[in-house]
Amino acid sequence: MSLIDGLLGPEEPELGCDDCFAGLDRYVELELAGEDPDTRLPGLRAHLAGCLACREEHESLRALLAEDG
Amino acid sequence: MGAGLAATLPPVEPVMDPESRAWVAALAGEGGDREAALDRLHALLLRAARFELARRRGQLAGLPAAERDDLATQAADDAMMGVLARLGDFRGLSRFTTWAYKFALLEAATKARRLAWRDRELPRPPEDWVALADPDGRPEAAAEHAELLAALRTAVAEVLTAQQREVLLTVVAGRVPLDVLAERRGTTRGALYKTIHDARRKLRVHLVEAGLLAGEEVSRP
Repeated sequence: MSLIDGLLGPEEPELGCDDCFAGLDRYVELELAGEDPDTRLPGLRAHLAGCLACREEHESLRALLAEDG
Repeated sequence: MGAGLAATLPPVEPVMDPESRAWVAALAGEGGDREAALDRLHALLLRAARFELARRRGQLAGLPAAERDDLATQAADDAMMGVLARLGDFRGLSRFTTWAYKFALLEAATKARRLAWRDRELPRPPEDWVALADPDGRPEAAAEHAELLAALRTAVAEVLTAQQREVLLTVVAGRVPLDVLAERRGTTRGALYKTIHDARRKLRVHLVEAGLLAGEEVSRP
């Protein structure tokens, strides 16, 4: 992420960290099922774009579930 | 983790799958079944914590394997407390195991970030943070990029509060993890992110009003 992007953050409305955590499990399962998680959980993708910590945990959960098969 | 922002999650009707229902029933029950479920849950959380710490080997370079495994156990223990404390929140919108995993990943990631910064003083936001910006590779965009950066420098100095400025620059320009800054300030990741979010909104509004950024959706914070 460039410095300018980091300073300005996502343009779209976004969830906070708590709501992101609350929806993350469902979001990742929908992603891995090939469904559209952004319609069901609006604002979560924008938060992942703006919050490095939540983004890292999203990537980890995806990777862990992928490993589980 | 802290305060919410503008977007909210819509309500949904959950349908819990049989395996998840069995987990919840066993953990909410009593006796030997509960003890066995607690053991299985801890093993599950420990696996997730080890998985996260293995992904962060680079960040934890120099940490002996035994200490890394202790860290995984601490993360699993704390995640277990979180799962049990919030068991009533689980509504079956995902599999129970996926829901539980995220607690262990959060705990392990947070502990790893904090350990990596232990004994390190947090860097002050660099005075000349604008110099950290990557120049746009396209020559035709260079002037526009420079103009945007100059406006951002002014906006950061003049539009943000001192608290917003310090948090935003420490995290974005100083690359200090949110969890680490939250721990040093005795606050939460969510509360600090809210500060960053509000600062970003102010900057966007300022740049839109200056005609430097398209953004009809931006509302005044």
